[in-house]
Amino acid sequence: MRAAGEIGLATHMIWERALEQAVREGEAVYYLELSEVTFVDVAGAGALAAAAGRLGDGRRLVVRRPPPTLRRVLETFWPDLPTIEVSTS
Amino acid sequence: MSTAAGTAAPSTDPFLHPALFYRDEREYLDGTVPFVREGLAAGEPVAVAVPGDRLRIVRDALGADAETVRLLDMREAGRNPGRIIPGVLRAFADAQPAGRRVRIIGEPVWAGRSATEYPACVQHEALINAAFRGRTVTILCPYDAVRLPGHVLEDAHATHPTVIPAGSRPARDSEAYAPDAVVARYNEPLPLVTDAMTFPFVADSLPDARHAASDEGRRLGLTGVTLQDLALATAELTTNSVLHGGGSGVLRVWAEGGHVLCEVRDEGRMTDPLAGRRPASRDQRGGRGLLMVNLIADLVRVHTGDGGTAIRCWFPR
Repeated sequence: MRAAGEIGLATHMIWERALEQAVREGEAVYYLELSEVTFVDVAGAGALAAAAGRLGDGRRLVVRRPPPTLRRVLETFWPDLPTIEVSTS
Repeated sequence: MSTAAGTAAPSTDPFLHPALFYRDEREYLDGTVPFVREGLAAGEPVAVAVPGDRLRIVRDALGADAETVRLLDMREAGRNPGRIIPGVLRAFADAQPAGRRVRIIGEPVWAGRSATEYPACVQHEALINAAFRGRTVTILCPYDAVRLPGHVLEDAHATHPTVIPAGSRPARDSEAYAPDAVVARYNEPLPLVTDAMTFPFVADSLPDARHAASDEGRRLGLTGVTLQDLALATAELTTNSVLHGGGSGVLRVWAEGGHVLCEVRDEGRMTDPLAGRRPASRDQRGGRGLLMVNLIADLVRVHTGDGGTAIRCWFPR
C-alpha cells in the first residue's frame, strides 16, 4: 500500500480502513510505502501500532520511509512492537 | 537504622511521599544514602532522579552499590515537570515486579528553576499524591533549605503528606498538607501575548495551523527534531481543541529568550488534573496527545477554568 498526504483528524478513518485491510489480507510481510506522507499525528501512529498488534504469528508490517515524527512516536510508545519494522530505504 | 520509609506516620495508603529538607551536602547524603541502602538491603528496586551535581555525590557515596540503582539526571529527564510522573516516576515504578516496595528519590525543584517553571513544578509535586495513591511506592523529595526561597519550602509542606525537617531523621506528618489547594492556586492565568503569530483554527484548518506553526518556528530559529516537535505538539493541541475544547481555538507562536513558545487556547475546560501525566498502556487506543507534548517540550504550562483553557509549551532554539 502506498499513502500520500498527511494523517490527522481528517484522514484517520481512511488510514484505519487501509490498515484494517492490511491486517485482513493475511500476507506474511505487508509493505506500507509512506515516502509521500508528510505528517502522521499520535493517533495515526496509534492506529498503526494497533494494526500491527493484531497481526498473527510470523506476520509483520514494514513501514517504508515514514516522516520522522512517526518513527519518534512509535519509539516513544511502542518501542518493542515485534510486528512492525521501520525501513528508511 | 531507620529512614523516611520506615518511620513515616501510619497510614492506610501504602504510598509514602516525604519531603526531605537539607542544608548542606552532609545532610543531603545523610537523608538519601541510607534510604537507598535500606531499599537495596530489602531487595527493593531503587531509582535516584536528582540534578546532575547531586547525582554525582550520591553515586560516589554509594560506591559499588550505585550499579544496582537507576540513576537519572533530573535536569534532563525532568526538565519539563509535566513529564516526571509518566516519564520518570511511573516509567520506573511500573516496570518493577509486583510485591516489593519501589523506592525513588526525586528532586524536581532546584534553585535554578525559573519563576515560569515553578508553577508547573509545584503542581507536579502535588499531583504525585493522586498519581500514586494506593501504590506500594516511596518517593523521597529533597529540598534545598538554604538556596530555595521561603515560599517554595512552604509549598513543599503542602504538597507532601510527611516532612523530614533539616538535620533530623524521622518523618512527621505535615499539618499544611493540601495538595488540591496547591494545584488550584498555581492554576495561574497565562497573560495573552499580543505580538505573536496568531492563527484561529477549526477542524478543516488543522493542517494549516500546523504549517503556520512550523513556518513561524523555522523563522524563529528552530531546526531539525525541535522543529518537528513543535509541529507535532501543535497538531496534538489543536486536534484536542477540535475534539474536546469546543471545536475551535486560537494558536499562537512566538519567541522568548532561548525558546520558541507555542500556545493553544480554546473554550474547553480541563477537568482531569492528571491528563497528559499517565503513561499510556500499550493497548489504549487514544489519549496520548497531551502526554506526547509533555514528553517532548521543555516546559508545559496550563491554565484552565470557566473561561476556557490555555496550554503553552516551550521548545529550545
